[in-house]
Amino acid sequence: MDDLACPRCKTTKYRNPSLKLMVNVCGHALCESCVDLLFLKGSGSCPDCNVPLRRSNFRVQLFEDSMVEKEIDIRKRVLKDYNKKEEDFATLREYNDYLEEIETIVYNLCNYIDVVGTNKRIEQYKKDNKELIMKNKVKIGREEIELEEILETEKQMEELRRAEISRLEQEAKKQKIREKEALIDELMFAEGDAKEILNTFAQNIAKKEEIDVLPVIPKVTQFSTGVKFSRGSGSQQGVPILEEGPLYKYEAPIIPDRCGPDPPSIQNIISKGYLQHVRAENETEKAGGYTSTLPCLRALQDAMAGLYHAS
Amino acid sequence: MYEPTLRYEKIDFLGEGQFATVYKAKDVKSDKIVAVKKIKIGSRLEAQDGINRTALREIKLLQELQHINLIGLLDVFGQKSNVSLVFDFMDTDLEIIVKDSNIVLTPANVKAYTIMTLKGLEYLHQNWILHRDLKPNNLLINREGILKIGDFGLAKAFGSPTRINTHQVVTRWYRSPELLFGARQYGTGVDMWAVGCILAELLLRVPFLPGESDLDQLSRIFQVFGTPNEETWPGMKNLTDYVQFKQFPAQQLRHIFSAAADDLLQLLDRLLALYPPARCDCTQALQMPYFSNKPAPTVGAKLPMPTNIFKMESEKPSLKRKLLDNIDGGSLAKRLQF
Repeated sequence: MDDLACPRCKTTKYRNPSLKLMVNVCGHALCESCVDLLFLKGSGSCPDCNVPLRRSNFRVQLFEDSMVEKEIDIRKRVLKDYNKKEEDFATLREYNDYLEEIETIVYNLCNYIDVVGTNKRIEQYKKDNKELIMKNKVKIGREEIELEEILETEKQMEELRRAEISRLEQEAKKQKIREKEALIDELMFAEGDAKEILNTFAQNIAKKEEIDVLPVIPKVTQFSTGVKFSRGSGSQQGVPILEEGPLYKYEAPIIPDRCGPDPPSIQNIISKGYLQHVRAENETEKAGGYTSTLPCLRALQDAMAGLYHAS
Repeated sequence: MYEPTLRYEKIDFLGEGQFATVYKAKDVKSDKIVAVKKIKIGSRLEAQDGINRTALREIKLLQELQHINLIGLLDVFGQKSNVSLVFDFMDTDLEIIVKDSNIVLTPANVKAYTIMTLKGLEYLHQNWILHRDLKPNNLLINREGILKIGDFGLAKAFGSPTRINTHQVVTRWYRSPELLFGARQYGTGVDMWAVGCILAELLLRVPFLPGESDLDQLSRIFQVFGTPNEETWPGMKNLTDYVQFKQFPAQQLRHIFSAAADDLLQLLDRLLALYPPARCDCTQALQMPYFSNKPAPTVGAKLPMPTNIFKMESEKPSLKRKLLDNIDGGSLAKRLQF
């Protein structure tokens, strides 16, 4: 590691132990202070290859070989668009061909083979698969959110468990102190032989320890689907037994006695020309979900209700 | 004349909302447990009709409605300048059940809840009333496992060719796309969309489309169902608040609801149709194969109940959802009780 050096200022890890090498998309490394110096304005060009770079794109070099870093960058960029999944292909063969293509593109871009042509190929692919790419992006976003949620709950569980364990430990400590005090009291005031008292106490403690080994806290884990399950003490209720009730059958609600002739049904209103006598809905009203059928039915219903009423 | 305040003995404080305080009480006359909703007097603006408008709606509509799946208004009494409404007492609501991670909801349970909701709503629509504020929080459930639609503070008659309605109804997460686009003439579709969202929430156990703003709500809807165009939704561009959206491709419902059977997906597809006239109504929905197919809906008494139903204090609907309701006005805003 000591021969690690910044290619520009030649500072080595030996001379400056806090040396940190940064890389950008071109794959050429620079130390942190050089980056600060050269990219004071936020953007500039790489001293090695003159490629225009942005300061915000610099990150710490993780691998000694900067080529690896470069490939990671390129791969990340390519995979953003090449985000098809195995399900999107009819055969395994096609999927493998697709993976092969990605590898070729990444290799070409890394080694400056036909960069223009390869970029064109990516553009073409983007155009051809615009919809699918969008869709997969949305899907991936959702998956990530779910994963995050699971991680979050796991963290919470961990914390809870830790708190519980430390509480139990504290309790045990207190208990021990209490026992010691009891023993001393006994020795001070009891009439019997000191040795005997010591013996009985030791026996008591041994017995107790046998009985209450620290209660094991059930380890709570989650399925990847987020369904909770726990091992150990079964405080969780079992899976509910499937009870078969009677199957549902639609029954029209009972219409109260309207004390008049029955209004026509919706189908009749549409087919028998009732609608010719009412204002038809305009397009905006229809777009909002309003149709003239229902008001027509309501008006007819209102008009006919109570016609047979006689006082 | 008897003294109504003597008829109802206060047992417990249940909750406080923007317009009312709710108490659990015992009806001395019938020995029944009831919920008494005491309407706050409120500001002059709210009381310009003499009495708070939401309370007036509830009294006006519920007096004439009688259905097993609608909350029953048992009594209304006034005392000094207060008005109190007496309702059936309900032990819990669907929001609590959905959020309770100890409860396993089987497909049969989901079916039972959906059937009861649709039956209540069918009756409501048949009587020319739109609920306009359907959400799990307003689907109340008692310990017999009977679901009743509650909170008629935003309910209104529909089916008039001239009346203009406000589009600022329904809690945002359950609001249909035409309302979000500002439609002033709408139909039963707004309630059906909400039922679809509730059904989806029952399956996912989290809100299906939790939009953070009205625009975010629309983009969330379109991300799932695809952005509509003039062919799939004629006249969309004429709606008051129409805005052009980015083109999202439609997603397969079966990818989102991976555990749902085909008949259930078919129902969801009809309930959550973007184009309002394409949405089914309650009668059509209830006649779909999903409901008559196996598994049979769970009978009421066997539906799951939260374990701490008997010590109600611990489970109160979350504050966050209440806050998100904001301007709709139909919701309850929590206040600290000292």
